[in-house]
Amino acid sequence: MIKRTSSISNFKKFVLAVIMPYFIALLLIGLVFTYFFEKKIILGSDISGAYKVNRIITSTDTNEVIFLGSSRAEGTFIPDSLVNNGFNYGMNGTQDDVILFFLREECKKKNKNTPIIINFDLDGLSYDIGDISNYLYNVNYSPVKKLLDTNYRAVYSLPFLKYYGYFELYSKYYLNAKTNLTKFTNNGASLEKNVLPEEEFKQLVKERLQQTYHFENDPLLEKEFYSIINANKNRLFVFVVVPYHYSFFNKFGNYEAAKQYLSSLEKSSNVKVLNFANLNFPDSYFINTTHLNLKGALEFNKILKDSLKPYMRGYIN
Amino acid sequence: MLFNSVEFLYFFIVVTTLFFLIPHKLRWFLLLAASCYFYMYFKPIYILILIFTIIIDYTAGILIENEQYKNKKRIYLIASLIGNIGVLAVFKYYNFINFNLSFLLGRFDLTNPIPFLSILLPIGLSFHTFQAMSYTIEVYRGNQKAERHFGIYSLYVMFYPQLVAGPIERPQNIIHQLHEKKYFTYQNAITGLNLMALGLFKKIVIADRLSIYVNQVYGNIENASTISTLLAVIFFSFQIYCDFSGYSDIARGAAKFMGFDLMINFNRPYLAQSIGEFWARWHISLSTWFRDYLYIPLGGNRTTKAKWLRNLTIVFLLSGLWHGANWTFIVWGGLHAVYLIFGTLTAAFRNKYFPSLGKLNKISNQIVVFVLVSFAWIFFRAETFSKATLIIKKIGSLDFSINLTQIAAGNGPLNLILTFISLFLLAFISPPKRNGSPYKNVIFLLIITFLILILGKNDKANFIYFQF
Repeated sequence: MIKRTSSISNFKKFVLAVIMPYFIALLLIGLVFTYFFEKKIILGSDISGAYKVNRIITSTDTNEVIFLGSSRAEGTFIPDSLVNNGFNYGMNGTQDDVILFFLREECKKKNKNTPIIINFDLDGLSYDIGDISNYLYNVNYSPVKKLLDTNYRAVYSLPFLKYYGYFELYSKYYLNAKTNLTKFTNNGASLEKNVLPEEEFKQLVKERLQQTYHFENDPLLEKEFYSIINANKNRLFVFVVVPYHYSFFNKFGNYEAAKQYLSSLEKSSNVKVLNFANLNFPDSYFINTTHLNLKGALEFNKILKDSLKPYMRGYIN
Repeated sequence: MLFNSVEFLYFFIVVTTLFFLIPHKLRWFLLLAASCYFYMYFKPIYILILIFTIIIDYTAGILIENEQYKNKKRIYLIASLIGNIGVLAVFKYYNFINFNLSFLLGRFDLTNPIPFLSILLPIGLSFHTFQAMSYTIEVYRGNQKAERHFGIYSLYVMFYPQLVAGPIERPQNIIHQLHEKKYFTYQNAITGLNLMALGLFKKIVIADRLSIYVNQVYGNIENASTISTLLAVIFFSFQIYCDFSGYSDIARGAAKFMGFDLMINFNRPYLAQSIGEFWARWHISLSTWFRDYLYIPLGGNRTTKAKWLRNLTIVFLLSGLWHGANWTFIVWGGLHAVYLIFGTLTAAFRNKYFPSLGKLNKISNQIVVFVLVSFAWIFFRAETFSKATLIIKKIGSLDFSINLTQIAAGNGPLNLILTFISLFLLAFISPPKRNGSPYKNVIFLLIITFLILILGKNDKANFIYFQF
């Protein structure tokens, strides 16, 4: 009986002296930490996906030209080299469902009729929301929640805890944007400064030569693209295929089908297609077989700027 | 179920709460049911293997105790050992033996007719089999009374905190604890919680962080430089320590919370000044198992020098084989045997010609031990012997070219910086002393929580020793 009583008093001591102070302190420090981390780190870097998602939702700049796409857009389009007032919303690891999310948000903006430049990947329209960290800051915004769909977890509604496992990633974006140590950054664009050792690049080429590719559009995504393009005749949509390494085409099954789709897009009066897939840049312009490095991107942006000029007068110097 | 998962957090809270709420006589059942659930969370069917060995060893224990004649006792013991080793042989070593047989027959242009088995290794098989064997051996030696309560005996083998990766307990230490009535105490709860927090920190913040670099280099060794390979080898030494000792800490902490004391499995092994001392500090429950049940019965060091060296070699080769059915593990064990034998044979010479340099001597010994142990880990980590050789060649190539991408193993400099920070933290993070102020404990738990949340890898990575 004495031991039982002692057991209860020990439990009370454990709860009152350890558990309660622990949770109260965790809550308070967590909230303060989250506030500063979100303001200073997450929103302090214009190259993180989280910043870009927040920016497309909140930006009211009616003169901004936006660049959309996957990592190929993020690592290729240098806004200041191309247009007067541009921002690169390209997000690493994402696919066309995310581009559509950005397009929907962009087209909601009234009194805006700037051109929209979209990177087009030759494997066709597909789904991939990429890293969940891109959406955590705006996770309670219903279109974001809808985009996450089955990837949404209840823990994402908890401040601080929702960022578990992602603090490093946000810090990485922040440091890359602030120090430009390994990346060159410009208005959302993030370009790789480092080059792979020659042997490693050769290995990538060898592997790529053996990989098969196939163009295929998801019908729902295709339909939605057409629907947005047709509903926004005041906006010019420029689809750009950025250069691929020659090895990419070695086992590309139906490149003609991809070209046909691009031609069909161009039938809309407010669509232009610029296909630079076969530009045949040398190895030294690539970080891998599908992405340009800084040197390649700088060269490509000169070519792209000249090609954009006829369609984007007033937006290009 | 993984200790580093949210599911385990719920499991632990529910099981521990129920443990203190229900009457003592029902607690064994709760813990046994919880342990079954814990094990079956991985792959339910393998519970049958556990049941098989439990029945064999429970029966053998009683038969041994009831038997008057030594010879018959020995027969029961041997039958029990065959049962346990047989399970290990089938599930862990069958394909390895068969592969080597095929290789040998192939040298004579013969085909091996014995088919390979398509089976997954049951998680923690080597751990619970060894724990089960120690029971029958101790009963046979008369150091432990045969357990008559089938539930308690089953719990001895299946107690969830140490079921899948140890510590490999002895019946003398744990069975009587399973009979005792436990009360909630503040000291047990806080000690247990602190140990669990420390273990999670070692696993999630350090081991999983180091694994990013190590996996990248070992998985892509052709493109690594000498610097990145050396870093990967050193990082793996700490990864495996933090992964395994982290598991042991969580196991001890979870048990301690309920009032059970499990044995200490690690005691700062990289501070050892000799290979012998390293093994007295590393995976202590396995080292002492081999010492008590193999090395000493073989004659230990109280025999001729040749037999003593033979005994050491046998123990280390079998220790390597215990870890995995692969020649790389046997080489790893063999290397430790060579280290130990060389160290022992040259001890007199070294003591005579290398005068003690005080603290410098201690540090140089620690460095030498760390280098030797890290070298042996190359064989432990590499999937194949040829890969281990390639890693050694990479180190020997002395390619000290500075390429940031290569040095950071393609993961960026931030990951490398955080890896060093994690290692630095390892030296400074330790739980407050017993009977310390409650607030010190709160601060310790808060620091660990923040380090885990901010620096931790959120991917529920498996513990390395689960595969054994």
